[in-house]
Amino acid sequence: MKAFDHVTAASTREAVELLSSAAPDGARLIAGGTDLLTLMKADLIAPPRLIDLKPASELRYLRFDDAGALHIGALTTLADLERHPEVAQRLPVLPQSVRDAATPQLRALATVGGNLLQRPRCWYYRGDALCWLKGGSACFARDGQNKYHAILDHSPCVAVHPSDLAPALLALDAELVIHGPGGARVLPVESFFAAPTDQERVEYRLAADEVLAEITVPRQPEGARGAYLKVMDRQAWAFALVSAAAQVALRDGRIEHVRLVLGGVANVPQRIRAVEDLLTGQELTPKLAEQAAERAVAGAKPLAHNAYKVPLARELARRALLAATGLMV
Amino acid sequence: MPIRIITTHLEFEGQVSEQRVVIEGDEPPVWGPDAALSIVGTPQPRVDGRERVSGVAEYTYDVRLPGMLIAVGLRSPHPHARVTRIDATRAEVAPGVRAVYTRFNAGDFLHPDNERPFFGEELPYAGDLVALVVAESRAQASDACALIAVDYEPLPFVIDPEAALQPDAPHVILTRENNGLSDEYPKTYERGDITRGLAEADVTVEVRFETPAALHNSLETHGATAQWDGRTLTIWTSTQDVYGSRRQVASALGLMHNQVRAIKQYMGGGFGSKFGTHSSGMLAAYAAYKLGRPVQYMLSREEENLCTGHRSPTIQTYHLGAKRDGTITAIDLHAIANVGATGGWFPPVSMVAKEMYQCPNVRTVDEGARTNLGPFAAFRAPGVVEGTAGFEVALDRLAAALNMDPLEFRRKNYAPEHQAMERPYARKLLLEAYDLAAERIGWATRDAEERRYPLGRDGHLRRGVGMASQMWGGDGGPPAQAIAKLLPDGTAVILTGTQDIGTGTRTVLAQIAAEELGLPLEHVRVELGDTEFGVFSPGSGGSMTLSSVGPAVRMAAVEARKELLEVISQLAEAPTDAIELRQGAVFSRETGKEMGTIASFLDQLDGHEITAKGMRGPNAEGMTVRTFGVQFAEVEVDVGTGEVRVLRVVACHDCGRIVNPLTFSSQIEGGIIQGLGFALMEQRIVDDRLGIPVNANLENYKVPTIRDVPEIEIIPLDRPNIHANTLGTLGAGEPPIIPTPGAIANAVAHALGRPVDALPLTPDRVLKLLNQEATV
Ligand SMILES: Cc1cc2nc3c(=O)[nH]c(=O)nc-3n(C[C@H](O)[C@H](O)[C@H](O)COP(=O)(O)OP(=O)(O)OC[C@H]3O[C@@H](n4cnc5c(N)ncnc54)[C@H](O)[C@@H]3O)c2cc1C
Ligand code: SF4
Repeated sequence: MKAFDHVTAASTREAVELLSSAAPDGARLIAGGTDLLTLMKADLIAPPRLIDLKPASELRYLRFDDAGALHIGALTTLADLERHPEVAQRLPVLPQSVRDAATPQLRALATVGGNLLQRPRCWYYRGDALCWLKGGSACFARDGQNKYHAILDHSPCVAVHPSDLAPALLALDAELVIHGPGGARVLPVESFFAAPTDQERVEYRLAADEVLAEITVPRQPEGARGAYLKVMDRQAWAFALVSAAAQVALRDGRIEHVRLVLGGVANVPQRIRAVEDLLTGQELTPKLAEQAAERAVAGAKPLAHNAYKVPLARELARRALLAATGLMV
Repeated sequence: MPIRIITTHLEFEGQVSEQRVVIEGDEPPVWGPDAALSIVGTPQPRVDGRERVSGVAEYTYDVRLPGMLIAVGLRSPHPHARVTRIDATRAEVAPGVRAVYTRFNAGDFLHPDNERPFFGEELPYAGDLVALVVAESRAQASDACALIAVDYEPLPFVIDPEAALQPDAPHVILTRENNGLSDEYPKTYERGDITRGLAEADVTVEVRFETPAALHNSLETHGATAQWDGRTLTIWTSTQDVYGSRRQVASALGLMHNQVRAIKQYMGGGFGSKFGTHSSGMLAAYAAYKLGRPVQYMLSREEENLCTGHRSPTIQTYHLGAKRDGTITAIDLHAIANVGATGGWFPPVSMVAKEMYQCPNVRTVDEGARTNLGPFAAFRAPGVVEGTAGFEVALDRLAAALNMDPLEFRRKNYAPEHQAMERPYARKLLLEAYDLAAERIGWATRDAEERRYPLGRDGHLRRGVGMASQMWGGDGGPPAQAIAKLLPDGTAVILTGTQDIGTGTRTVLAQIAAEELGLPLEHVRVELGDTEFGVFSPGSGGSMTLSSVGPAVRMAAVEARKELLEVISQLAEAPTDAIELRQGAVFSRETGKEMGTIASFLDQLDGHEITAKGMRGPNAEGMTVRTFGVQFAEVEVDVGTGEVRVLRVVACHDCGRIVNPLTFSSQIEGGIIQGLGFALMEQRIVDDRLGIPVNANLENYKVPTIRDVPEIEIIPLDRPNIHANTLGTLGAGEPPIIPTPGAIANAVAHALGRPVDALPLTPDRVLKLLNQEATV
């Protein structure tokens, strides 16, 4: 890790100012630091200045408004989200998604904003090799050790997005409020994530001088229920091999609204529209859930060591849909 | 006391060796089944538990000396390379840097055990040492490392052990003729006639079973802090062997033994990888000696996982045959172990196949393969954990082919004697252990519909029960010495040269001494882990520490008690056999009345301290002492996701007398948890095109978490083995890990109704077993 200087930002506005006055690559925000510091220790990044966002306490809140939308300040910790009784009751998919993320110690530090901005866990990326995502020319995982990698091919990189929270937020049609020098913008979380490209070798779209201020979860359709399922190599403290988030609302026994999102299968969390199209207006039966799950993995192109993710993703998709409909617990 | 030199036999990690040792005096008679003991055998919390949990305990990493420098290593990123040039000039002048060592200024610094240079020209694995930077702070040392320019000439390499054994394989080490372990390998053992045995069989099976490289991942990495004061080189080192560390440092630096002092007070785990002080310790000593300032070199987690050892991956191929009635007629095993580039010996993978079950026709071939990976090192029952897993899995396959109950099959082939050595076992309680443990796990109902399918046949859960037997030594042996000192206030200090590697040695030795001295436990202090104040004890390994050092402590305490009784007898004018010592007080045997405290007598003597010596006596001849035991595991497999959860493990081992039920159960539980890790999740993963391990960290090298831990039920037999040593104890460190992976693998195979061919049983592997589609 290289030496750096450390300043604090007491507000979102101050953070934006500090960021925009810094040289390109001159400063980084630090929230819980649980991802940022690991990148710095591995010399993957070496920001000369860290701007500590934690004093900006205005960014740590969880609040339902009168219209029934949930507002999550970016500095809210995963532990805050996990333990909020009203969130648990109205949007159970959220605490379910963070419950098995990392460890209790990490969840007490890790912020919701930082969670969406964390970088991939690919072992080549985190190791010494200069792979494509780090600006090199080759992806070492594609023909190397890739048991944890993507089965959907969206870019030269086959790393998967590590966040457990992100698939749940996608399933809830969440939006992000982002502050920059020119003011605030709002965009759906689904378009915030994007596969890396030659020009932008990163999984999200956020300018260097922008601050993620809030995640807004709109009011869900009447009676909507959710489920988040995660399979790991051990019972705790592991990233998902594959995860699935589903949010379903029924009307008169038929599916009125459905979202199915898979984690651990692509560069970014994958909303499966084909399944939503298939299911809307239908009555969910175990048979139909199976068909839907089949469709969820239709485009999969596994690599040498991750073919197991295809049946795994299919199974989790099926179970998440059934669980969100109350057909399976 | 007169001395005599005797020859005795010692079995250590599967190898029997002959040793000549000095014996002085006579050991007390063994504590038999009827011995009346009041402290030994009772549950006692660790005497140093408070220090450990409160953070006061000083581990090697915690040592801070005035003026201490920090060393950081620069390691090769290539699986095989030659270092042609190193330019360290920028690093040498970087802030805080006091020295940079490389092959160009320290190339003649040789490892005393294998004569390899610490800084080699040829680097046969990724993680081998290129340079060591010593600086005022860790940050300065690592920054300076980044300033060293190294020219590597990459050399051809090989990672796969089977490929390495091919005649045209790249040379793992250029100067070696081939990639075999040594001229002795492949090594064949044969008894009977394997061809006939297979021909006589009604049923044969062929099983190929692979086990992964497991990394020790002791919480405390290897390393040391060293200080040279012009007279003595003191090294605080994370070691299982302070005397071995002293010897290594002395010979590496050309010092005399009385100029080196090795200290290890608290240990964050070793599991076999810390015999001696490791190259990191010798390098710290080297730098401290050259610079005249204390130097600390503690390895990073990544270095730990690249260069300090691992359980070697194995490929075991069994060819087994049996008669219809279940009698085994043939055991043929070909075992390849990947010992890495510089591993020095072969883990005894085939030990169980030779000995565990009755069979007249046995052939085993051990083949050690060198590859361009870090060296293999002993790891809690090295070879035997892997070998037991493979063999017990193969036996279940044979039982299935015979349509026989796996437990019945093992009973049928029970081996009453040591077949390979043709001599009796001191004792074997295995049949009894089978009965007790089978009853507890509910073996009889393992096939019951409602047990196997907890959610019904259409549900996604399957349960299975599997078992595996275990054998190990652990009766200890000489040489080991101890001194007991009784101080004027009636407290005692026990001096040993052993070390407590986290197992509770300090506590059980204190119990033994307190028992014989008639003192309360808190009046006994045990000193260990220091060559300066200690007396010789061997390294702590092979589950032998208690059984080697405990009898020496007991004898010293007995001798001290004799002198104490003599003193009291003369002062009280009562014959020695009329006096009894209990809880620090002196009682008249006749009246039962207290005659005063021990202190009240010693106090009359103007500072006299009673000092007595004890020594571990020779081992029993003409028989083999073994632990023998069995474990059963019940697992639940989610056939939709491939997740395996171990629900219960029942363990029944004959570990002789149990000195402390608490330290005993810690060993059993720890062994089971570590074995569960090997069965379900632990594996080094290597990119064989790049030749580098990709998971040399604790994120992707997964060890079990507390949530992975099953219900563990221990059935203690707690019966002294009077042939083992004067305590009647056997080791408990290795026995519990040995059968765990095999029992779990067999339980998974039972749950799935299909054979298991490799470990670990991660979700991807289980899905592969279930699902053609999961295989590319
Ligand atoms: C051992 C381990 C296990 C883990 N396991 C899991 C897991 O199972 N599931 C899971 O989902 N996650 C897991 N994580 C990841 C963890 O959840 C994230 O590291 C954490 O959520 C990041 O939040 P933070 O506040 O610490 O972010 P930081 O590390 O402080 O920041 C991360 C990035 O976000 C930027 N940033 C932070 N806040 C803002 C903001 N408001 N606006 C703009 N930029 C910002 C920072 O500049 C940095 O680039 C694990 C992490 C570790 C270390
Ligand atoms: S998957 Fe992505 S991060 Fe991993 S090696 Fe390939 S390009 Fe790099």
